[in-house]
Amino acid sequence: MTLLLQAIVNGLEMGFLYALVAVGLTIIWGLMEMINFAHGEFLMLGMFGAWWASVAFGLDPLLSIVPVGLAMYALGVLVYRQLMRRVQRGDPFTQIFATVGLLFLLQNSAVAVFTSDYRYLSDTLLTRLSGANVNLLGITIGVPLLIGALLALVLFLALYLLIDRTEFGLALRATAEDREAAMLVGIRPQKMFAVAWGLGAALVAVAGAILANFFAVFPQVGFPFTVLAYAIVALGGFGSILGTLLAALLVGVVQSVTTVYLPPAFKDAFVFASYIVIGLCRPQGLFGRF
Amino acid sequence: MPPLLELSAVTKRFGGLVANKDVSLAIGAGEIVGLIGPNGAGKTTLFNCLTGYLHPDAGRIVFAGADVTHARPERVCGLGIARTWQLVRTFGRMTVLENVVCGALKRHSRVGAARQRAWHLLEFTGLAPKADVLAANLTLADKKRLEIARALATEPRLLLLDEAMSGLTPAEMAAAVELVRRIHAELGLALCVVEHVMEVVMPLSQRVVVLDYGEVIAEGPPAEIARNEQVIKAYLGEHYRGR
Amino acid sequence: MDGSSGRRRARLALAAGVLLGLAYPIPLQWSGYTYFHTVGFLVLINAMLGVGWNVIGGWAGQFDFGPQVFFAIGAYTAAILFVHVGLSPWLGMLAGVLAAMGICALVTYPLTRLRGHYFAISTVAIWMIAQPIGATWEFINGSRGLFIPMQGAQGVLGATASLQFAGRTKALGYYYVAFGLLGLTLWLLRLVEHSKLGFYFRAIRDDQEGAEGIGIDSRLYKVIARSITAAVFAAGGVLYGFWALAVFPEQVLDLNWSTLPIMATVVGGIGRLWGPVLGAVILIPISQIMSTTLGTGPLAGRGIDLIVYGVIIVLIAALRPTGILSLPWSRWARRLAGRPASGRLVGHG
Repeated sequence: MTLLLQAIVNGLEMGFLYALVAVGLTIIWGLMEMINFAHGEFLMLGMFGAWWASVAFGLDPLLSIVPVGLAMYALGVLVYRQLMRRVQRGDPFTQIFATVGLLFLLQNSAVAVFTSDYRYLSDTLLTRLSGANVNLLGITIGVPLLIGALLALVLFLALYLLIDRTEFGLALRATAEDREAAMLVGIRPQKMFAVAWGLGAALVAVAGAILANFFAVFPQVGFPFTVLAYAIVALGGFGSILGTLLAALLVGVVQSVTTVYLPPAFKDAFVFASYIVIGLCRPQGLFGRF
Repeated sequence: MPPLLELSAVTKRFGGLVANKDVSLAIGAGEIVGLIGPNGAGKTTLFNCLTGYLHPDAGRIVFAGADVTHARPERVCGLGIARTWQLVRTFGRMTVLENVVCGALKRHSRVGAARQRAWHLLEFTGLAPKADVLAANLTLADKKRLEIARALATEPRLLLLDEAMSGLTPAEMAAAVELVRRIHAELGLALCVVEHVMEVVMPLSQRVVVLDYGEVIAEGPPAEIARNEQVIKAYLGEHYRGR
Repeated sequence: MDGSSGRRRARLALAAGVLLGLAYPIPLQWSGYTYFHTVGFLVLINAMLGVGWNVIGGWAGQFDFGPQVFFAIGAYTAAILFVHVGLSPWLGMLAGVLAAMGICALVTYPLTRLRGHYFAISTVAIWMIAQPIGATWEFINGSRGLFIPMQGAQGVLGATASLQFAGRTKALGYYYVAFGLLGLTLWLLRLVEHSKLGFYFRAIRDDQEGAEGIGIDSRLYKVIARSITAAVFAAGGVLYGFWALAVFPEQVLDLNWSTLPIMATVVGGIGRLWGPVLGAVILIPISQIMSTTLGTGPLAGRGIDLIVYGVIIVLIAALRPTGILSLPWSRWARRLAGRPASGRLVGHG
């Protein structure tokens, strides 16, 4: 019983981080209805950014999320302006190809620059705290992951407020709803899409910078996160920000509970099985409004 | 003899909105029925229920003795109902001929035989000179004509035309009306023609059914319908609402 | 008139291609240097898989990210039948193809309720579920994999019958088997393309509701399309397993077994029967040429070839999403021959 509770708590902690990983895709895929198979590659770049900032300048990843986020925002805007804008109106397949090409390009550029070796961050604020635990009713909560999770939650809620409560968020949602109508009220859809891509890339890269405290940094790290993010966005009911959070928590818990009872290889299998089952029974997602 | 198509008390709801309420109507073999009503009266929803894209929440649809209330579109087509679409759904990356061949394959599983049948229909509809054009490159009028040819290729007994005239120039509209008349006269099909512009449908139909807010408010010969107070009110109301 | 001369050109190109494909390994065989046979083998197997992927992706218009599952099913079925029962690999290939088609039909039917991107993700999901099964299922030896013992068959016929080539002719033998299988795949799928199936697949791709309206059961025909793709992948998997003499889950379930054929299809021309062949001929050797030219230099093994792939795909997607075969080749050929194709072109002269 304690084992199960412990697994649930661990899963929730990971879930907050997954939420930050997935929410960029919620904006690009769920809200703006564009596909991006290079989503995890943005995360990988964020991890490398944090690693490099730490090695070269001794900057802690918790601080380097600011420059990493800004740089990746610029990259996201660039990717939209130079590539995705061209393929946006055509066959949906073209978007898949374009972003799969981008996946290969970014992943292997990282191989070319950094090699495929695993790299670990050491001597960061969170890694120094490793071993620090909070005990609560027999359940151990690791402090570093807890801090990471809380940081992710704060950023997530800030994004939620941005999308849900501000004029900018309204313009973004209006563009997603109806481009032509948005144009009539003076919104420039191209700009909104560019911002959405910038935000999407920045958020997932920031998540990567936080994750770099806990996971090995290597060029191929992204793709599993990509597919996980797709499952989360779909489960959360496309385009629903809070749905993404709930779905991410669910995915975190399913993963961590699965590993209690089954070989670790099955960690993701149950997540994807639930994606299929829920996709078939409730195509609008678990937490979608319709 | 029972009618070819019979709807009894068909009701379709979307959430709180009732799109069709207790709609009962019948279409006999070889009859042309006009289905009219203001925008949002539930005409397209009714077509979607008839052709299996939607299923009614209550009521029954019987076609040629078979209950099709819950049938899927492909079975409805197999039984002999074909349709066209308000927003055209031609196969854009296939040629005009290939589009019609796809329809003809419903009754001829060999491509050669289907191709022959398709040629015949392209000649009937006047599309033969454009047989090798990609459907995406046609004008709207030709796309609508192609949809009719493709629907005819499935050898239906009842053809449902959903706003086959909307968006056409007056000349194109006249040609389309002429085609509908020929389909009725030469092929002997029953037709149900949805239009929201009354002027098109009145001279064409033998009988007119008027829908408003999802309900049948009048039914009868065109001349009678044109004088019907309730119908005039529904349409005047629409003009008043600014169409 | 133009149609028949176009058809004659196509037939000439086909004959030239077949001859080139048949003759390609012979000079290399004389020199005793068989490395390029293997390059040829990889080109052919990826071309074959691409031609298979084209059925679900290019014709039926459903993005399938997980056909490598059927590649694995084919490889495992034939390997197990060979190891445990001693069944001939060719019969094993038949069994693998049937098993893959059956499993594909069962798995895909429910998935066809999902459309567009959601279907694509669900095929990834099936692959994600297949991986731990492959890695832990004891019947197929889990992550330890299955080894295929050599039978030591004699002569060309014996080697072909047991799908086991060894020694100096190993690379040559597998090259020609792959060549034959690619030819068979192209011939069968050409029949499919011009049959009712080919028309129905494309109708569903272009407009699913429109297709249902003329009596096409879209879910059924999507399942048929994906099962045909699965059959080709299963056959490819059997060939690969016997070539590698082993079947490992990470190897046969590798994502590259779908990304490379898909990329070949996209580069060559999606929806065109010969597109994937052209794409594979262009793409696959890049990898081999890179590893030869980079040698043991500082950039060796740094994924430069995959960067090149990425750039090519991005460029194709942005500039010519219908692929290289869709370029106006015949117009260019006519212009090269000095014959303007039409009045409009003279002005560009």
